[in-house]
Amino acid sequence: MNLLTDLARRRFLGNTHTGLGGVGLMRLLSGTASAEQTPWQAGQGQTHHPAKAKRVLQIFCPGAASHLDLWEYKPSLEKYHGKPLPGEEDFLSFQGKNGNLMKSPWPFVQSGESGKPITSMLPHMAQHADDIAFIHSMQSKTNTHGPGCIFVNTGHATEGFPSAGAWLSYALGSENENLPTYVAISDIRGEPPNGKANWSNGFLPARHQAIMMSDQKPIRNLARPGSISAAEDAASRKLLAQLNGRFADANSSETDLQARVSAYELAGRMQLSAPEVSDLSRESAAAHRLYGTKDENPLKAAYARNCLLVRRLLERDVRYVNLYCSSRASGVDGLLNWDAHKTLKPDYERHCPIFDQPTAALLTDLKQTGLLEDTLVLWTTEFGRMPTHQAGTAGRDHNPDGFTCWMMGAGVKGGVSYGATDEFGRRAELNPTTVWDYYASVLHLLGFDHEKLTWYHNGLDRRLTDVHGEVIKAILA
Amino acid sequence: MGPDVTNGYTASRPVERLLSEWLLTRQVVSIPAYSVSKQVGILVIPGILFTRSRFVLVSCGYETDSKRNAVNSLQTPFVLMALVCTQYAGAADERVDFKTQVAPILAEHCLRCHSAGNRKGEISLATAEDLRANEYIGAGNSDASYLVQLLTSQDGDPPEMPKDATALPDDQVALIRRWISEGAEWPNDVVVKEKSRADASWWSLQPLQTAATSQAPATIDDFIRAKLAERDLSLNPRADRRTLIRRATYDLTGLPPSPEEVEAFVTDTDPNAYRILVDHLLASPHYGERWGRHWLDVVRFGQSIGYERNDIINNLWPFRDYVIQSINEDKPFDLLIREHIAGDVFGKDDPDVAVSSAFLVAGPFDDVGNQDPVQAAQIRANTLDEMIRATSEAFLGITIGCARCHDHKFDPITQEDYYALYATFSGIRHGSVDLATPAAHAQRSAELEPLNERKDAIEKTLADLDAHVLQRAREQLSTYEAQWTRETVDRTGTEDRFSPVTAKFVRLVCEARDDTPSASSGFRIDEFEVWSVGGDSKNVALDRNGGTASGQARKIEDFPGAYGPQHAIDGKTGARFIATGHDLTIELAEATAIDRVVFSSARGETTPDQRKFHFVAEYRIEVSTDGQTWQVVASGRDRRPIAQPAFVNYRLLQLETTDEDSREKQRLKKELASVKREITKVPALPSVWIGRRVAADAKGPFHVFVGGNPQKKGNAVVSASLRVMARDSNWTYRLADDASESLRRLALADWLVHPDNPITPRVLANRLWHYHFGTGIVDTPSDFGYMGGRPSHPELLDFLAVKLKKSGWRIKQMHRMIMMSDAYQQSSEFREDAARVDGDSRLLWRFPPRRLSAEEIRDTMLLAAGKLDTQQGGPGFRLYQFMQDNVGTYVPLDRHGMNTYRRAVYHQNARASVVDLMTEFDQPDCTFSAPERTETTTPLQALTMLNHSFTLDMATALAERLKREAGDDVVEQVNLACRICYSRSTTRDEMAACRELISQHGLAAMCRVFLNTSEIIYVR
Repeated sequence: MNLLTDLARRRFLGNTHTGLGGVGLMRLLSGTASAEQTPWQAGQGQTHHPAKAKRVLQIFCPGAASHLDLWEYKPSLEKYHGKPLPGEEDFLSFQGKNGNLMKSPWPFVQSGESGKPITSMLPHMAQHADDIAFIHSMQSKTNTHGPGCIFVNTGHATEGFPSAGAWLSYALGSENENLPTYVAISDIRGEPPNGKANWSNGFLPARHQAIMMSDQKPIRNLARPGSISAAEDAASRKLLAQLNGRFADANSSETDLQARVSAYELAGRMQLSAPEVSDLSRESAAAHRLYGTKDENPLKAAYARNCLLVRRLLERDVRYVNLYCSSRASGVDGLLNWDAHKTLKPDYERHCPIFDQPTAALLTDLKQTGLLEDTLVLWTTEFGRMPTHQAGTAGRDHNPDGFTCWMMGAGVKGGVSYGATDEFGRRAELNPTTVWDYYASVLHLLGFDHEKLTWYHNGLDRRLTDVHGEVIKAILA
Repeated sequence: MGPDVTNGYTASRPVERLLSEWLLTRQVVSIPAYSVSKQVGILVIPGILFTRSRFVLVSCGYETDSKRNAVNSLQTPFVLMALVCTQYAGAADERVDFKTQVAPILAEHCLRCHSAGNRKGEISLATAEDLRANEYIGAGNSDASYLVQLLTSQDGDPPEMPKDATALPDDQVALIRRWISEGAEWPNDVVVKEKSRADASWWSLQPLQTAATSQAPATIDDFIRAKLAERDLSLNPRADRRTLIRRATYDLTGLPPSPEEVEAFVTDTDPNAYRILVDHLLASPHYGERWGRHWLDVVRFGQSIGYERNDIINNLWPFRDYVIQSINEDKPFDLLIREHIAGDVFGKDDPDVAVSSAFLVAGPFDDVGNQDPVQAAQIRANTLDEMIRATSEAFLGITIGCARCHDHKFDPITQEDYYALYATFSGIRHGSVDLATPAAHAQRSAELEPLNERKDAIEKTLADLDAHVLQRAREQLSTYEAQWTRETVDRTGTEDRFSPVTAKFVRLVCEARDDTPSASSGFRIDEFEVWSVGGDSKNVALDRNGGTASGQARKIEDFPGAYGPQHAIDGKTGARFIATGHDLTIELAEATAIDRVVFSSARGETTPDQRKFHFVAEYRIEVSTDGQTWQVVASGRDRRPIAQPAFVNYRLLQLETTDEDSREKQRLKKELASVKREITKVPALPSVWIGRRVAADAKGPFHVFVGGNPQKKGNAVVSASLRVMARDSNWTYRLADDASESLRRLALADWLVHPDNPITPRVLANRLWHYHFGTGIVDTPSDFGYMGGRPSHPELLDFLAVKLKKSGWRIKQMHRMIMMSDAYQQSSEFREDAARVDGDSRLLWRFPPRRLSAEEIRDTMLLAAGKLDTQQGGPGFRLYQFMQDNVGTYVPLDRHGMNTYRRAVYHQNARASVVDLMTEFDQPDCTFSAPERTETTTPLQALTMLNHSFTLDMATALAERLKREAGDDVVEQVNLACRICYSRSTTRDEMAACRELISQHGLAAMCRVFLNTSEIIYVR
């Protein structure tokens, strides 16, 4: 689908204007882009430099999953539990006043050969500690979920910008034309904060938006309507191909008309491929057990099934998958996502088991199948949480000044902890890292110079990394 | 020497050749060296060029395509040369002057990444502060200065700075060395600023050129033909009438012509038939719907607030109706623009005018309450930024938003300019106000006044009655208190024991909630246990033991059971039932003898006092064997009430109120209810989302935010016009810092459409051209700055702008003029020879065909099917289900009911929502202004068009229409279908193929095919 024309820009290039039009058209329609031309071209499978990663899985735990209770161990929180946070006795954060320092309700366990301390609530994930590059010094520019989520997904805290997946779709085009290039999988509990803006094409052409699908919800409009028989559908599409083909031939200068003919053919192929990829019954009982798809907790089982779906999508060269574990901030906090303002312990005792086994199983599976060698796995959340408890509660407020994200897989050094927050986890202190640095690194691994992947919009050549970003060399293999 | 900008080269010649030509004309004798660095879209060839008398630095760039994104397209590069010469020289025996010699070097090479607004590496070179603090300069010792080390080659590596750019020429480095050696003096008053690429001489800022001589072209076609002739091109012949009526009708109304209209026009012998057609279309109410939609794109009109909560806005549609009506009425556009900015000021008492200022708040904003003052200030700044950008892009074609953090890098807009607008809009907040005439306000007040008086009186009598009862109760307080023997309710666990009783049903009835006794719903229960009698007593309420729970609960549409009663009997804490009724009922597996219940809302919690654990304060426990008749077995009345006056009073009132008191209270309450009903019957004033005007926010002083950071206040600013356009003193303003909020906006409104303002009419004229021809004379309709496109026909653009002003800013005349041109009426026939010269027909050797927009496609399907509901105005319809649980979620509908069959412009477009056909055919998300639509082709379009029930419904309806209008004859049916869908007759091949499909699968199958064809969505 990358090869279908963007009519607004390539309107009637003509076939003869440059002498390339004919070749271009052939490539547009055949889907066999070759990379031999020197100037880099978007959407043709070409990169700026050789890529380490061919595809990306981005796991997102919305609600601001606490760095202090999952990934970054702070002994000082135990030591000074109940004492004021030095220097910030009376600060206001998102929901207002804060109390004293609060240790994590669970112990941290040294994991892997690297001995990385990880919360005891994530025993399965801990088994992957040696493959993960943790970035403990992330900083956001907003402390609000919606802008925070789109910031981490689009590099901009205001709405309307393309997500990383959309940028990659624009940059590379499709690898498997029978499936979407970019897929977003929402949690069974609903969409993350700011909803579909998290996988939006923004100002890029509509074809770069993520296709929404999950085990629970197939791609919209994929199936032939029940009221139409297979024979009627086939005969109708034959006539349609005839009429559209003739119209395209009669207006051969209009390349988008040929593209429309191809689009209907691709749609037909997608109708065959997509149900196949979604059919988890083709997986072994062992695989189902590994992921926990039959868990008695229906929320965990649903997420596990989505994890299994992800493996099947990546296997078939879907380029970018957004996988969400939990959804929005509900009217009552802590229930639908990781936003534990008031009751951290019961909240995370709900969320961690949903996340832990299925995600770890997916990573194990990617390793075993060899997919991890050229798949980049990202784990992200929109910001962190305070080392203190929120006044009058047993939860933590939003903390945009320091939090953890990680990555593993293609081109990433394992068992690394890069950067750190201060002694208490309040602020990024060692090697403060921005979302732009994070994506500069992601794009680097995908073969792109983040400063050169641009799109003109309303006065500026826009980038995923805005006007910032440095590749984090220390975590590259 | 100022910038020397030569543009407009369209050539495939190698850029080096262009460069050498240019050099020759400027008597450059040699190029000692130049290097080429290729970035996306820009080729830079910097170098030092020696002329006979002096040396200059030259940098030369070209861009491959005026649209920039198409860098990778297959077109021959559109070459633009921008040559900037900076002269610097100085005799070695003079001291280096920082301001004139060093500062320009820093400005050119360093400020891009190291300014106050962009302090890469924590270094700004705008002032000396960071250099000194970080010891980058050792005054008097240039070799030891870190700055010099950064700029020069170290150990054979290329210089570290400027990063990813060509190293500074040796002579510049030498100059910096000398400056440091001489003491590195940086006068305090010198702030180095990056110079914007364009300055006051930029083309779009110049006065409109009115044709001075009699030889000047007098018509659109004169301009078009002249440009074509330069390239040995000519216009295509006229399009045939069938094509023309389809083109014109879609263009002006967004709908296809009916088969009858096509036939009448094709056979009309009147030579003025086309002119009459255009006039007829301009008079159609559908014209405003089509061109109103264009304008709504430009002003980023969306009916949800966006961001996390993305709440729907149900009262912004009057603005949409205002736009459509204004355009249908051919309201002078300068007036419309003034009304957008300040309609509520000069039309204060006229709702039809005031509604226009909804423009200011038609964009997205973040309304999540933020207690962190730093973040709250940032969010507020983002909100105002959105208004500033929307305004400057829509009317001025200038991306002023880029000057938020630093002076605009490309266009001559300063941060002061930006914050002058910030001051102008500072009093605006998103929200609704009652919009009505003074008479309507007065009438409503007059009707409400006596009712409110009566209401107040009754409420006072009731309060007096309660006070009286309470006074009596307090006299025997100790007697009552003696009855309160048990402990107060406890959120972490409350127990009631009672005599054994056999129950099949047990329920908790809440009479008062423990945070406010006036509420009896909204309480929460994490666990409710019912214990059986006997030694092996067990919790028979538990789901594992066969209990089931019911009770009205808070609901989340997309996550059923989130707060359901099942949480109360799952044996787990942490999640809880949230009641929206007054009770929680447990049905036991079988009738059981019980004697105890235990319930809680915060079991095991260390901080149970939080709001999220609201519990019962006053309650009773009831049992039943049949679920019909209930028996009270326990209550909280013998517990000590919560130790707050409201709860004690609640209890005392219950105990002391006599039957007589009770009857009187009932009577009063009934009366009160009746008055309240009457109050609600007084019609409310229309509440419209035009934004609130908040005096406290509008109060200055205002400052530049250094680096865009509201915490770093720079120079003070006042509401004022853009400085770069200050050459004409008639056309500037600068208000006192205490000028009123309304005066500020009024000044801006007047300035935008001032007779001396060339920009606004130019931008508007170009938009009109853009929508008629698919591409503007400037192909970036909201960006006439350096980063935008250059006009393909600059003189024509000014000609149109002048005409627009002369017509009194009435755009219908402009449509007429454009559509009567030969350029517009020519055919879209493709000619290879012409395409070889001008591939995308920017010079208009043919009429550019186009695909329909998403709205046109949907409207066309409805119209073809005979289902289009032409009702105009009023609240919009929705193609999604809107759900709300703290945040809004928009789920596209699988079936589109009849109530959605209105034109798409009346759809209640929400931000960050996806609605099948509309989204897939490139309807923009209304978060940003969308001055142009993209057009993509995807398999998803095909899937939606083939399989969504909307297509099937339309296919069925079209089939019915064909049968109704063409009778039973298949040939007639197919012929009519072609006339409806394609405005033409059927070919022989088509007829045969269609008949075959119809014979096997019916007429609706063919209709589904027709609705999917390319031809129905293309206009030539």
